[in-house]
Amino acid sequence: MIVLENFFQSLIAGLLIGSLYGLMCVGLGLIFGLMRVINFAQGEFLMLGMYGAFYVFSWFGLSGILGPVLAALVSSLFSFGLGWIIHQFLLSNSTGRAVAGTEGDGHYQQLILTLGVSLVLANGALLVFGNLPLSIRTPYASQAWELGPLADDGMLMFFFNQARVMALLAAVVITGATYLFISRSRIGKTLRAAADNPDAATYMGIDVTRAHRISFSLGVAITAIAGGLVASYYPFQPYIGLEFVVIMYAGVVLGGLGSIMGPFWGGLIIGIVQQLSALVLPMQLQNGTIFVLFLLVILFRPQGLFGKNVERV
Amino acid sequence: MLSIEGIHASYGGLKALVDVSVKVDEGQFVAIVGPNGAGKSTLFKSISGTVNAHQGQILWGGENILTMKAAHRALLGIAHVPEGRQVFKELSVYENLEVGAQSPKARAEASRNLEQIYTLFPILKERSTQLAGTLSGGEQQMLAIGRGLMSAPKLLMLDEPSMGLAPKITDLIFERIQEIHRDTKIAILLVEQRVAEALSPCNYGYVLRSGQVAMEGSPDKLTHGDDMREAYLGM
Amino acid sequence: MQLLRNNIYAQLGIFAFVYLTSTFFIDDNYFRFVLSTVPIWAIMGISWNIFSGYTGLVSFGHAAFFGIGAYTVVILSMTFGISPMIGIPLGCVGGLIGGILIGYPTFRLRGVYFALAMLAYPLTLLYIFEWMGYQEPTIPMRTGDEAFWHMQFENPFYNIVVSVVLMSLAIWVSHKIHSSRFGLSLTAIKQNEAAAESAGLDSAKWKMRAIMVSGALAGLAGGWYAALVLVVTPNSVFGMLTSSQAMIVTLFGGVSTVWGPVVGSLVLIPTSEIIQATVGEKLHGIHGVLLGVAIILMMLFAPDGILTKLKSLVFRSNKHADAGTPEVTVPVRDDTASKRSLSSEIMLDVRGLSVSFGGLQAVADVSFQVHKGEVLGIIGPNGAGKTTLFNLLNGFIPASAGEIIFADTNLVGLKPNQVCRLGVGRTFQVARPFSRLSVLENVIVGAFAKDADDETARKHALEALGRVGMLGHAEVLAGGLNSLELRLMELARVLAGRPDLLLMDETLAGLGADEVEIMLSTLNHLADQGQSIVIIEHTMQAMVRLVDRFIVLNHGSVLAAGEPAAVMKDPLVIEAYLGKKWVNNAEH
Repeated sequence: MIVLENFFQSLIAGLLIGSLYGLMCVGLGLIFGLMRVINFAQGEFLMLGMYGAFYVFSWFGLSGILGPVLAALVSSLFSFGLGWIIHQFLLSNSTGRAVAGTEGDGHYQQLILTLGVSLVLANGALLVFGNLPLSIRTPYASQAWELGPLADDGMLMFFFNQARVMALLAAVVITGATYLFISRSRIGKTLRAAADNPDAATYMGIDVTRAHRISFSLGVAITAIAGGLVASYYPFQPYIGLEFVVIMYAGVVLGGLGSIMGPFWGGLIIGIVQQLSALVLPMQLQNGTIFVLFLLVILFRPQGLFGKNVERV
Repeated sequence: MLSIEGIHASYGGLKALVDVSVKVDEGQFVAIVGPNGAGKSTLFKSISGTVNAHQGQILWGGENILTMKAAHRALLGIAHVPEGRQVFKELSVYENLEVGAQSPKARAEASRNLEQIYTLFPILKERSTQLAGTLSGGEQQMLAIGRGLMSAPKLLMLDEPSMGLAPKITDLIFERIQEIHRDTKIAILLVEQRVAEALSPCNYGYVLRSGQVAMEGSPDKLTHGDDMREAYLGM
Repeated sequence: MQLLRNNIYAQLGIFAFVYLTSTFFIDDNYFRFVLSTVPIWAIMGISWNIFSGYTGLVSFGHAAFFGIGAYTVVILSMTFGISPMIGIPLGCVGGLIGGILIGYPTFRLRGVYFALAMLAYPLTLLYIFEWMGYQEPTIPMRTGDEAFWHMQFENPFYNIVVSVVLMSLAIWVSHKIHSSRFGLSLTAIKQNEAAAESAGLDSAKWKMRAIMVSGALAGLAGGWYAALVLVVTPNSVFGMLTSSQAMIVTLFGGVSTVWGPVVGSLVLIPTSEIIQATVGEKLHGIHGVLLGVAIILMMLFAPDGILTKLKSLVFRSNKHADAGTPEVTVPVRDDTASKRSLSSEIMLDVRGLSVSFGGLQAVADVSFQVHKGEVLGIIGPNGAGKTTLFNLLNGFIPASAGEIIFADTNLVGLKPNQVCRLGVGRTFQVARPFSRLSVLENVIVGAFAKDADDETARKHALEALGRVGMLGHAEVLAGGLNSLELRLMELARVLAGRPDLLLMDETLAGLGADEVEIMLSTLNHLADQGQSIVIIEHTMQAMVRLVDRFIVLNHGSVLAAGEPAAVMKDPLVIEAYLGKKWVNNAEH
């Protein structure tokens, strides 16, 4: 009975954190799916989302159960702007039409450029915010809705942490909204067209560079929202980005590049695997399982579960 | 309306166009033919802006657009139907057509134009929710033309629409192109390898060879004489 | 000066001397320590360069090899009491094995996926070592004589000596690779893998060799690092900073150069240490910020490295100082000479060759033969399947039906480098030369497949250059060639492999009239010497002066075959090019 309860509780925990991983992955998936850019600084944008949410939360004294969610949303506006500026001045020259057709399609330059950005952002945050771990604390973070007792002997009991459930709902809603935006709205179709065939899109009068800029900023903002939501889970510090980068890429690769919802499912699965593995593995190896899963997916099924584009020999 | 005067262009480091001049008046059907490697596609790309021409001018309604960015030119009323179709494979037929209407004018006329395109190419209406990448070559060509028409253009440019298509489909497509010319006021600039199909419906033709205009004139003038065969076959 | 330029031993000698003597002027123990770590990062940079610099496959995971080397030394010393003098070489071997284990599954990936996978390896190892309990393994301090044998030198000067010795070893290895077929083969693969494969290079093998050497050197660096600092944590050796630093010093100094990583290390490491020591105490993170900014600026303005940029600026001015560029020697040929007599021996026999892509028959039941010494032209309208046919002959695409008989072997199913080794050479439409290398270095790659000996390869490369009239260009930098010269160089590269059959893909495209003349003369000259050629071309007038026979393709099948005059008057051919209605109109 205890085992069953532990199992389901871990499953619930997995769903809760997995939904946030999923949201992060959706952000990265947009950037990769719509721009074919690999962004090493994605973890740092996540981290900045956390700090942004923290300060918005503190300064405006946002209370109520939706406080952290609102803080995350507001801080994502800054992230959108930051992403816009970074793309305009740095990435435009080494991605998209500027390099299409050149050796390796500019991948080399772009990978290393975003690595540079990641170093600047992470260490810049250290400089500005210091390395004291922070987190968003609300009373809801320690309250839980109860389900049960279930089962004949009245022993089975499940707890749903309130703050985290709110975060899950927010993640699901935002993911859904993103999906609808990208697939149904006019701008969304334009972004997809620009990603599908930049040359043809230019023939239509679409400014591909600008489309990429929007995609990038949007992807960064969405990941930042996820960051803001995770800020109420764990304490964070400037270097936390790196821990999440591999989770994000693992999720996107698992779910499949080139799809909008795929990365969400990928992130969700990773969350569940991580929490379930805590039942059988010591803590240090939990993240290890994610890496191993990641490697396995890349080596044996690079297109993931739902994906379309693969670069393979 | 469109006047290209003495342009030069390079493609892939090689001289592709040398002192080329072409004119398209309103409502005219102009064909540009020539053997492979003559520079036809480069000429097309110079007009759309994806290849930078230098020297000379490209006048559109009197304004020189030689240095204008490609995406801007598309919004001037020049529709491009590129070589190899280049449809958006991951978007549906309907979405492809939708995306074709980018300028405010095009968007205002969108539903009307869509109806006309569906009448012209009924198969597109049938397959409107299908992903463009799953269409046959001929259907993709129709889609590409429809997409171009959605931009409510004054000039429709087509780059080798027959490439890779079976003769029957090619005939159908050329028929429809002629229909477009007859029924609307849109001018047409057709770049083609297949001489006969291109020359018969047009008002005026140019023959490109090795990056230069070797001959020009009415279809009649071009079809007679050995010059054409020499241009293509070398003897 | 010339002697110094080319002699690696002299360069190393002078460098080591200057480095070691300058340490005498440094009193501060901390700076002495820094001076002993600079060479370690130089070795890491060299290691990264040998792999990623040459192959173009970006590795974010060299920390994996570094960490393996470090942990080997520490664990051997801590648990078994084995001195680093043995531990370091073992760490080197560990790195090499790591290279094999990582390379084998990961080479199947491309671009983005490769970079991501490489990122995951060291991080995975990091977690594994943490879990195994090796959070802070320490090499026990020893005293007296024992200390010496365990490389714990009392006088820090000895540390610097060891560092310099190991670094010199790494530089020597790098030099040997750079100026040998190893380096050139890797560069060829990076430049254009398809062309390299067609020239007979087995890219999988070369990449594996590169990662083995790279892993070994990184393991060496890691091993000595551990022996030097005595305490190792998973993060300090497997962490992102290690991989990043290896990359950065190389990028700064110059990718694909021997001394680049050394220069990068010399400049960046002390700088960052000084920043760390002075401002870093008050402003945590400034070090990382400056490093990041440096990377960004470098990627935007000098993506190939500072050293390389400087070199190109210097070379550009040198080029003007040289005497004018050499002329291409055009062989004299009498155009009205009698036709080549064709041998009856069949060199290539293609039977019923077919391939389809997604329902479209690109090549349908194509059959033809090429006689020894013949020039066969393949023509046809755009989209007829000509290049696809070549890709089938070459081995880039597997045929779905049919046979290609050459040298008593069926080529269907063979890889391009195997096809090349049997004697089929192929030129490509887009010539991508190694612009920073000489023409000879560009051409010699073509000879590597057949000649195991570098000297013989060089001889054949020079011969090939002579056959195309470019012998005078041998030492000219490829980056300065015009389109005709580039085409001829490409041709020479293929000829260096002494192919029995030459496949040429649109060699005349885009050349001016004079250049076409020169190319035709050269090709005719080759044919007169007995070279069998199959050529795809569009320029008709040129073709008829070169070929003995034509094959006309349309919609993937053979429409007509025969001598030029007959083929050109064939109504089917005219129809294919000009259209059905034409044949009706024009007949008068």
